Amino acid sequence: MNKTQAVAAVLAATTTEPIVCTTGYACRIARHLDDRPSHFYMTGSMGLASSIGIGVARETGRTTVVVDGDGSLLMNPVGLITAGALPTLPLAHIVLDDGCYASTGGQTVPSRGADLCALALASGYARAEETDDAERFAELVRAAVADCTAPVLVLARLTSADPPVPGRVEGDLAEHARRFGHSLAGKG
Amino acid sequence: MTTAPVRTPLAERLAAELGTDFGPFFGTPCGILAPLYRSLEEEAGLLTVAREDNAVGVAAGAALAGRAPVVLMQNSGLAQSVNALASLVVPYAIPMLLVVSLRGVDPDPTPENTVMGRLTEPLLDSLGIESTTLTDPLDLDRARHLVHGERRAAALLVPPTAFGWSA
Repeated sequence: MNKTQAVAAVLAATTTEPIVCTTGYACRIARHLDDRPSHFYMTGSMGLASSIGIGVARETGRTTVVVDGDGSLLMNPVGLITAGALPTLPLAHIVLDDGCYASTGGQTVPSRGADLCALALASGYARAEETDDAERFAELVRAAVADCTAPVLVLARLTSADPPVPGRVEGDLAEHARRFGHSLAGKG
Repeated sequence: MTTAPVRTPLAERLAAELGTDFGPFFGTPCGILAPLYRSLEEEAGLLTVAREDNAVGVAAGAALAGRAPVVLMQNSGLAQSVNALASLVVPYAIPMLLVVSLRGVDPDPTPENTVMGRLTEPLLDSLGIESTTLTDPLDLDRARHLVHGERRAAALLVPPTAFGWSA
């Protein structure tokens, strides 16, 4: 499974649910595959995708999907601790783990000793599962989104190369935030 | 065990004022803000987040959902939050009120806070986040205008002695 396939599986499992994508390729791929008003492309603030998702889920009560990366999650694991302390938060936290910082040159993420699923469970997540199989991943994401009553984590272990990655997210970021806000208000 | 922070009249009035049209409330504790923190916890509900930039991120999510959140933090936590503010809150024009204490400003002599005390206002200024300083009587007109009217971030600075803190 590569990152493009994993993002496609997240989009296939969702319709109008808010989706917060972390900085880097996750945003670019999601936008290229289907640029829904319910997507929030976090182009900076690496490490904070789950925090934004927590705020959205807590405020709207809606199942909120976070598309995170291994490097992004490790830049600020306090997101895990914060979500884990909110046992009824409907947060489907998807982690695309390719073991590298893909958009900055493929440097290795220093996670050799870290078990991200164990970290989520130890933080209070209700479930955390990982797979390197595309079909199994799609199944886990569907299940996480369909019945989301607590923070859950699904980790895709990515092992294949991606096709050329689409261009940067362009346009006015304030306008992008307004579009997402309208979508959350049911106007999008 | 330590004793709970005392309630002070100014902190209670500020909490009541903020409770009328701001929220939800997030924060990372600070001694200067402790009385306000307590009043907000008791009257409006306040979610403690372990790090200030995460609190800003969670508040951003609430703001995107249409609210006018408040984040309580020490100015050391403002330093921690610079990237969240510079790359998320400001460019995406996400409204929130930052209530920032002024450690390292007279009469706080602690050398570990002095540099950040000096940096707080110019830093907010450079970020493009307008700040006002807490006064008694309260005047939240400007903060309200910025957050509710213009839907952007604003900061309310809290001097060390505002709620009775001493070094």
